[in-house]
Amino acid sequence: MDFEFSEEEVRFRESVQEFCKRYIEPRWVEIDEGGKIPLELIKKMGEQGLFMIPVSEEYGGMGGTITMAAIAIEEIAYHDPSVAVAVYALLNNGWPFIMEKYSLEDVKREILPKVARGEAFYGIASTESQGGSDVAGIKTLAIKKGDKWIINGEKTYISGVREIQELPQGGGYFLVAKTGKVEYGHRNITAFNLILKWDGKVREGWKPTLFEEIGRRGISTGAFTLEDFELEDKYRIGEENKGFYYLMEGFNVARILVAAATIGSGRWAIDQAIEWIRNRRLFEGRPISSFQGVSFRFSELYGELEAAKLLTYRAAWLADKIYIERDRKWREQDLNVPVALCKMKAPEATGKIYEELMKWYGAYAYTKDCNAFRGWIGTLSYLVGAEGAQNIMRIIIARDIIGREYVKG
Amino acid sequence: MKILTLIKLTLDISQLKYESTGEPLTEIAPKKMGDSDKCAVEEAVRLKEKLGAYTVVATIGSTSENERIIRDAYAMGIDEGYIVKVEDPEILQATSIGKIVSSLVEKTGPYDLIILGAGSLDTHSYTLGSIIASKLNIPIIAGVDSLQYVDGFFEALCIMEDGAYTFRAKAPLVVTVTTEANEPRIPTLKTILRSKKMEVKTLTIHDLGVDDVVKVDLLDVKRYVVNRRKILWDASEDLEKAVDKFIEVLVSEGVAQ
Repeated sequence: MDFEFSEEEVRFRESVQEFCKRYIEPRWVEIDEGGKIPLELIKKMGEQGLFMIPVSEEYGGMGGTITMAAIAIEEIAYHDPSVAVAVYALLNNGWPFIMEKYSLEDVKREILPKVARGEAFYGIASTESQGGSDVAGIKTLAIKKGDKWIINGEKTYISGVREIQELPQGGGYFLVAKTGKVEYGHRNITAFNLILKWDGKVREGWKPTLFEEIGRRGISTGAFTLEDFELEDKYRIGEENKGFYYLMEGFNVARILVAAATIGSGRWAIDQAIEWIRNRRLFEGRPISSFQGVSFRFSELYGELEAAKLLTYRAAWLADKIYIERDRKWREQDLNVPVALCKMKAPEATGKIYEELMKWYGAYAYTKDCNAFRGWIGTLSYLVGAEGAQNIMRIIIARDIIGREYVKG
Repeated sequence: MKILTLIKLTLDISQLKYESTGEPLTEIAPKKMGDSDKCAVEEAVRLKEKLGAYTVVATIGSTSENERIIRDAYAMGIDEGYIVKVEDPEILQATSIGKIVSSLVEKTGPYDLIILGAGSLDTHSYTLGSIIASKLNIPIIAGVDSLQYVDGFFEALCIMEDGAYTFRAKAPLVVTVTTEANEPRIPTLKTILRSKKMEVKTLTIHDLGVDDVVKVDLLDVKRYVVNRRKILWDASEDLEKAVDKFIEVLVSEGVAQ
C-alpha cells in the first residue's frame, strides 16, 4: 500500500498552485461578486493545460490521469473556494474524457482541441425539469431522419449556458436523449455531442435562458429548449441506445472531480479556521482554540475532510486503473461504491466545516466582509444535488453493499 | 548560441517554520529552486525560443531534490542538465562553487552566456557571478532587470538606486538576474511529464578536476526578528508636533541622524 503521490503529481500540484496564486486567488471574490469568470482567464487556463487533463495529447489533451485532474481541481477550488472556476474546469475535464472514448475520430479532432485551448466549452446536459435523478425518465426526444437527428426537448440546471454564447468558438454538451419509446427506460437513451454554437455561430433550434444562482456565481447555470434541432449522425456518441451507460461512466469521473472541488474549498475553510481560532482571543486573552468546545470540533472536522480526501483519491486511483491503465483486475462496476462514497462524503464534510467556521467567526460571518459564505453557498450546490443527489449516492452504496434485492422499494 | 544556467536548491523561506524559541526548523522546510534562479532559467529559455540557443542547466548537491529542480528546469524548456555531486552544498564557500563552475564550463562548454540568479534565497551573498567571471576571465553584468540580445550584443538594463543603466557586452559573459527580470513560466502537466523522461547527468568534483572544496563554518541560524516598538502618536490635532516626536525617536534609536 502506498499513500504517496508520485513525483510528477507533486510537481503538477505545485505548478497548479503557482498558477492559481498568480491568476485565480487575486480575483476569486471579484469573480463571485461579478458572476462571471473572465474569458481571458479561461483562455489562460487553456494555455496552462488545465482542461482535458486525462484526454490524449493527439486531441489537445494533456495525456494525464484522472488523479491528476482531481489534483488540479482541488487546487483551483482552494484558490477560488466559491468553486466556480473549479466547476468550469472539472466539466471541461470529465466530459471531454468520456466524449473522447466513444466519439468518431473527425468529431474528436473538430471539437476537443478548441475545448483544450479554452476557446469552447464542453459540459453535460442531462437534467430535465421533471427531475435530474431519474435519468431513465428523460423526455428529450431524438428522431433519426436520413443522416440527421431531429431533437426536441428541454434541459434545465445546466452549467455553461452563458459561456457557450460568449466564448469565441462556442461549445456544446454531452447530451442524452430518448431515441425510442419513453417507456423503454434507460435502454432507449442515446448520447450526442450537442454542438450549440460552433465557429462563433449559434445553431438554429436552440433557445437558452439563464438562472440567477445564489452561489458559485462565476459559472452560469441555465436551461434551454431544443426545437427541431438538427444534428448530423456523426455527432452521435457511441452506439445508439447505449447512452445511459456512457452517461454513468461520465458521472463516475465527474463525481470524483466534484468531490475534489469541494475538498479544495473545504481545505481553504480549514486554513481560515486555523488562522482564526489561533488568533481570536477572548476571556482574558485566551485563543479560542484553547477551549475544547472549539478544538475538539476542529479535530472532528479535520478528520472528516481527511476521510473525504482519502475516499476521493482512492476513487481517482481506481478510475485510473480502469479507464487509463485498463487493468483487467478491475471492472467498471467496482467504481460505483468508491465514487458514490466520495461524492457523498466530500460536500457533506465541507458543508459542516463552513457551518462551524462561520459560528467561530460569529456575527462577522453574517456580513459580506467575510468571504466564508461564498465557499459555503458555492459548495452547497453539491449538497442540494448537482452532479448526483446525495440520496442517489446513498442508494448506489446501499444497492451494492446490502444487495439490490434487499433495498428495492 | 549555448547558454549555461546555474540553479541552486534553497529553503522555501516562505514556508519556513520556527520553534517557539525562534530556532528555524530547516530540516522539515520544503526546498525549491531559488526565485531569481528561476528567472535565469526563464531568460535562457526565452533566448532559446528567440535565437535557437541550446540551453544547459547545472546545480550542485547530492539529494533527489537536486534532480527535481533540474527536472523543473527541463519542464520550463531547458535541454540538458548536470548535477555536480557535493555533500552539504549549502555551506560551500562561494570561491569553491566558482571553482566547480569554471571547471564545469571547461568540460561541457564553451558557453556564450552563463546566467544565474543575482542572489540566492538563503545566503544572499551576491558574489558567485563575479567569482565565476573572474575565474573564466570574462565580463559580467550583475543585477540585471531586463536582458535583450541586439545586433550581436547582450544588452542589459539594470535599475539602480540612482537611475537606470544599460550595459552592453559581447559573448562570452556572465549575467546575474534579479526577480524583476521576468515572470517565469509555470510548467504544464505535459512538460512535467516530458521532463521525467529526460536524462539528468551527474558529475563528481573529481570528474571536473577539482580536488577539494572549502566549506563555511556554520555557527548558528536564527530567526530575523524585528521588535516593534508599538508607539502611536496622535496627529489629529497637531501634525507637526507628532512628526517632531516621531523624528526624535528615530534619532534616539540610531535610525536617523
